[in-house]
Amino acid sequence: MRQAMYGLVLYVFLMLPPVANLAESVMTIHMHMQMPLFVIAGMLMTPFLKQQFPRFFAKWNSNGVPGIILFMIVVIYWMIPRTMDEALTIQAIEIFKFISLPFLAGVPLRDSWKKIRLVGKNIIFVTLSVICGFMAWLYIFSPEQLCNNYLIVEQITLGWAFLFLALSIMIYFVQQFFVDRSECE
Amino acid sequence: METAVLKETFMDKTNKKLGVNPEDALVSKVYLSLAFILLLVGGTLGLLQGLNRAGLLQLPVWLNYYQILTAHGILLVVAFTTLFMTGYFYAGVSHTLGGLTSKARKFAWSALASLLVGTVMIMTTVVMGEASVMYTFYPPMQASPWFYIGLVFLALGIWLAGTGVFVNAASWKKANRGQKLPLFSFFAVGGYLLLILGSLGITAEVLMLIPWAFGWTETVNVMLSRTLFWAFGHTAVNVWYLVAVSAWYVAIPKIIGGKTFSDVLARVVVILSVILNVPGGFHHQIIDPGITQSVKFMHVFMSLSIALPSLLTAFAMFAIFERAGRKKGATGLLGWFKKLPWKDVRFLAPMIAMITFIPAGAGGIAQTNNQLNQTVHNSLWVVGHFHLTVGVTVALTFFGIAYWLIPYLSKRVMTARLNKLGLIQTWLWAIGMLFMSGSMHWVGLLGSPRRTSFSTYGDNATALSWDPYLMFLGIGGTLLFAGVVLMVYIVFHLMFRAPKGHTEFPIAEEEENASPTPKWTERWGLWIVLAIAVISMGYVIPIVDMIVNAPPGSPGFKTW
Repeated sequence: MRQAMYGLVLYVFLMLPPVANLAESVMTIHMHMQMPLFVIAGMLMTPFLKQQFPRFFAKWNSNGVPGIILFMIVVIYWMIPRTMDEALTIQAIEIFKFISLPFLAGVPLRDSWKKIRLVGKNIIFVTLSVICGFMAWLYIFSPEQLCNNYLIVEQITLGWAFLFLALSIMIYFVQQFFVDRSECE
Repeated sequence: METAVLKETFMDKTNKKLGVNPEDALVSKVYLSLAFILLLVGGTLGLLQGLNRAGLLQLPVWLNYYQILTAHGILLVVAFTTLFMTGYFYAGVSHTLGGLTSKARKFAWSALASLLVGTVMIMTTVVMGEASVMYTFYPPMQASPWFYIGLVFLALGIWLAGTGVFVNAASWKKANRGQKLPLFSFFAVGGYLLLILGSLGITAEVLMLIPWAFGWTETVNVMLSRTLFWAFGHTAVNVWYLVAVSAWYVAIPKIIGGKTFSDVLARVVVILSVILNVPGGFHHQIIDPGITQSVKFMHVFMSLSIALPSLLTAFAMFAIFERAGRKKGATGLLGWFKKLPWKDVRFLAPMIAMITFIPAGAGGIAQTNNQLNQTVHNSLWVVGHFHLTVGVTVALTFFGIAYWLIPYLSKRVMTARLNKLGLIQTWLWAIGMLFMSGSMHWVGLLGSPRRTSFSTYGDNATALSWDPYLMFLGIGGTLLFAGVVLMVYIVFHLMFRAPKGHTEFPIAEEEENASPTPKWTERWGLWIVLAIAVISMGYVIPIVDMIVNAPPGSPGFKTW
């Protein structure tokens, strides 16, 4: 319950117009700070939602696969440069961002993570890091301005941020093979 | 659980009977001896500087103020600390993990070779007058390429020493499944991890500077170099602080007859330090041009976040003192204060170090603010500040460690006479630093610049008004030099002359009702990934900006 409260507070805070404006003013912060924080807000609210609607989660996400696919679709959708542009210019898309990231990415991610098998988790780690690597390549080397709202230099910065993200996911993925998880959980 | 307890008592007994393994002791003794020899050299240079700034000593042309300043900085801030840290951590790892593995010893020796090669190369270039670039070696001041190559060897030494500790901890974990790494070794792993993370920045910088110094590339990106330097510089200082903190958590409770306050809290402090530290370097550049206001604003938070583990430590320390005092029968709100062993130098030295961290830490927080930093930035105030942090909080804790670590390694005991000498040393140090650092702070506020040799600026009235304070700086420096000489005498006496006997390696026990340490504290993979994430949050935006929007770059300058 406390977690859900924190999640809600974070959610509302992120949507406050000055906060949202500030976060969206820098491309990297928009994609790598604001968007993940929305996902985290959703994750914090998940236990409460599961408690309220247990049947719904059992019925639609019994083995975790639908949830994780939904998560991937939403996350990949928001990686497309054009969607960021639209979020800034079209109010409805901005609202869709506020709803989709917490409730269609954060909630299903936390619900599914416990349910999917180890091989599923590994697939997600690898896929995410490959996608991030691809996005890094796209944003760093694209000669064109991909977003109307952001300069090329911001685009390159975002590319490097993606590279670090890909690297971080990869390191985390690889280290698990060396560390006995039962030792530290 | 039964076997674990049995194993520990067995280890305790063997440790007591056999003491430290001679091969492990040799590693630490060599490191510590070299550290204190460098302290003597660096301290002598410090005295010369202090006397010069007081206007009492004219330095010869062939060994001028800037050469001495560079050597003093590198010897004491980088070499002394790294050598001490390695000697101390390897001794503790050997003690808490039941001896070093032969692999770890090999890493320690090769690290020593690398560190020595690096230090010799650096000092040679400095003495030859080829590298009077201060220990921050900011471009576009250009030193001899061999100076930078020496720095590469220093970084390599750090990595080798760190790898040895990691390898040893991993092999211990493999042999002791399900047990948590002892707190001391946890500190060692965290300390080296942080130092290695920080040294990545300086390595990148030095690899840019070497071709520039050889003349293969014409220009260098000054902003980028400074940023990469402070990713290391700030982290390094916090690593030395973490080394000192390890003794506060692990040894001090035992020395004062108390128990660990909370094992979990200590581990959280290590984890937070590893994750949060590196981006803090930016507040050293808070008045640099070429970094946008919003980035500086963000970094105020990143810098202040490092205060959190320090405040946790302060809380834990007071709790330890109070509990230990009450156990000895202290009453009232502050009665425990009198019950502390003030006459025991093993306690007094680190205690003064801790007390000093109150003004030192507050000064650090003041400097993370843009406006306050502008007031003091290029003044002696900053020099006063880091002589409190590194010069007292870190150095005096290191001295406090030496009083038990060295007799433990040399299988000797500290006599009452040496304890008394140690008390004198500690007070000399404290009073000397009160004079020196105090006057540096004050005269800095009055505008006296740092990094400059003595000058009256053509008998300018303002510059002349600094003189009385600078005289106190010289007096403080002289007292400190006496402290250095006394300390080095004590160290080598404890190593070779003190009476034979058994000295314990103080490792505090947990309270009987302590809650078990959760296993997530050892998820190093996660902490490394989080640290990388925080580092990228701090650095990606400004560094890409510095590279993409870079000015033409600067050729090298030899200002001396």
